[in-house]
Amino acid sequence: MGAGLLGYTIRRLLWAIPVLFAVSIIVFYLLRLAPSDPVDAILGRNYYTEEQAQRLREKYGYDEPIHIQYIKYMKNLFQGDPGLSVKHRDFDLTEYLLPKIWVSTQLNFWALLITFTVGIPVGIYAAMARGTFVDPLTIGSWLTLDAIPTFVLAPIVQWLFILKFGIFGLTYEGVYSANMLLPILVTALPGVAGVARLMRASVIGVLGEDYVRTARAKGLRQSTIVFTHITRNALLPMVTVIGLSLPGITAGSLFVENAFGIPGIGPTAFEAAITPDYDVMLALVLFGSVLFVLANVVVDVVYGFIDPRVRVGRARG
Amino acid sequence: MALAETSELQAPAAATEERRWRALRVLLRKKIAVVAMVLIATFYFCGIFAPLISPYGPNEAPPLSSAPAGGLLEGPTADHWFGTDNLGRDLLSRVFYAARTTILFTLAVVLSGSLFLGLGLGLLAGYRGGWIDTVVMRVGEVLAGIPTLILMLAITAAFHTRITDFAFSLADNTPLSVNDARAIVQFTVLVGATVPFSWIGGCRIVRSQALAIREAAFVEAAECMGAGTWRILTRHILPGVLPLFFVGVTAGMAGIALAEVSLSFLGLGIDPPAASFGTLIHDGAGPYVLQNNPHLLLAPAIPVVVFFLAWNLLGDALVDLLEPRSTRAR
Repeated sequence: MGAGLLGYTIRRLLWAIPVLFAVSIIVFYLLRLAPSDPVDAILGRNYYTEEQAQRLREKYGYDEPIHIQYIKYMKNLFQGDPGLSVKHRDFDLTEYLLPKIWVSTQLNFWALLITFTVGIPVGIYAAMARGTFVDPLTIGSWLTLDAIPTFVLAPIVQWLFILKFGIFGLTYEGVYSANMLLPILVTALPGVAGVARLMRASVIGVLGEDYVRTARAKGLRQSTIVFTHITRNALLPMVTVIGLSLPGITAGSLFVENAFGIPGIGPTAFEAAITPDYDVMLALVLFGSVLFVLANVVVDVVYGFIDPRVRVGRARG
Repeated sequence: MALAETSELQAPAAATEERRWRALRVLLRKKIAVVAMVLIATFYFCGIFAPLISPYGPNEAPPLSSAPAGGLLEGPTADHWFGTDNLGRDLLSRVFYAARTTILFTLAVVLSGSLFLGLGLGLLAGYRGGWIDTVVMRVGEVLAGIPTLILMLAITAAFHTRITDFAFSLADNTPLSVNDARAIVQFTVLVGATVPFSWIGGCRIVRSQALAIREAAFVEAAECMGAGTWRILTRHILPGVLPLFFVGVTAGMAGIALAEVSLSFLGLGIDPPAASFGTLIHDGAGPYVLQNNPHLLLAPAIPVVVFFLAWNLLGDALVDLLEPRSTRAR
């Protein structure tokens, strides 16, 4: 890693800081501008006197001007205190959220792995078969699966594999149990179409290159050409796709988690949204934003590593 | 993006005109695209003319006292092609009205988000550059960095608890009924929560196109002859930007519609009695409901899936059209 790349990485990371601050301000103001109140959640809506409500607002600091609240929140956050959940007041917020984040992360990690291991070969296959009916048929059938919203797909597979065939159980028994296969597949398979389409376009882009023609002219076997010359080069643009799908690892499966009763981020975010539980929402949104920004930086840096032209171009502009 | 390298952009106006018709002819030759367009047209026809073609009203139900022993829920019959829901309402009619909700919602978001913000800001940012470009792209970067679904949950949920209050005050001050006022308020909140996230993709496409066309000789010529920003944008840059922009809108259509359906499914969008695919699907979503009354899920789900698929296939066909290399055989 040369000095140029290090400088580039640092510049990108520094730029991420104002972006994250902007995100936190927007989200903080949006949540507090809304006409609902966490006091409702603590006391039960319409079941309290204004005096009780006022006392609670003072206790939690909700009566102060928004910018003061924001500064206090950020101060606490930097000291490692992300606030508290008004609904689950017995828990430390970190203690409450981390296990849920970990469950979602594992679920989505396996799902992403499946999406890419299926999507990439499908894309290559479709690209090699282009001009025939096989190509649109392959992509089209994956697109059909992609068009089914998760909350429609989930009850269908639950009925088919749990009630009709009785292969799996309906209960959640931990991330590494057989019952998790269905939710993982329901998360993974709709994404195959997107990956396959990009891979197909990438392969088709490579097919026109001179080195592929040279390889053909040399009389290499078709399998050698496809695997060593085409696939390896076509995989490069997929770095972006893989990198940018990583932050989705924590937030991408709300409906699956709800349908299968998995205690991940999805149900937590939903509960926090309707409560409303300001600090839980903020923690989740900020966590997601940090992941997104980091993933962007990592993708940029990896590109700078693979292709020096990117680095030079950015440094000038 | 490879798409940005389309060389047809520097064509004079007359040839562009002819090329546009040729594009339509080529599109019509693709069977998948034609099927997709027919399906989309059917969906829009059903939605727009819902009051005329619905066999029953969206909330018309027999009185509970007339219910047979098994309840008002019925599978598909000659009277009710899609069956009825728990309250005995005709599902076919409710699906037609739900299509209406989807059409209105996508229209509102495409007009305000994609067209006004996406196209407008993209053109300005790409052509003028400078601080406008910086501001627009940075704002886009910030918005893109927020986990969309969680934030949309936050916005809609925060407003949802007090929507009834808004709706009553709106109903008091206007000739609207409470139910209509409720639907209008919910609809506005939904559009307001979706628009901030719906313009970024289109804006980026338009900007990169505008950046490329800005350098073309005919733009320079127009500038030399004293054409203003507005004229250059509308007459010279817009025609070159539009094809890719429309491809982007087409490909994004299903995603926009899905936002409303998803939030309504979670109970944070359009509430009953107004019809939305989200709430209709919610009534049928569950393995046991599916086993006993499959029509509750399938009646609303199949039209939605077909709608999404049709837009995606059309988007695919349009991409192929702009990038003919990808379908030609070796």
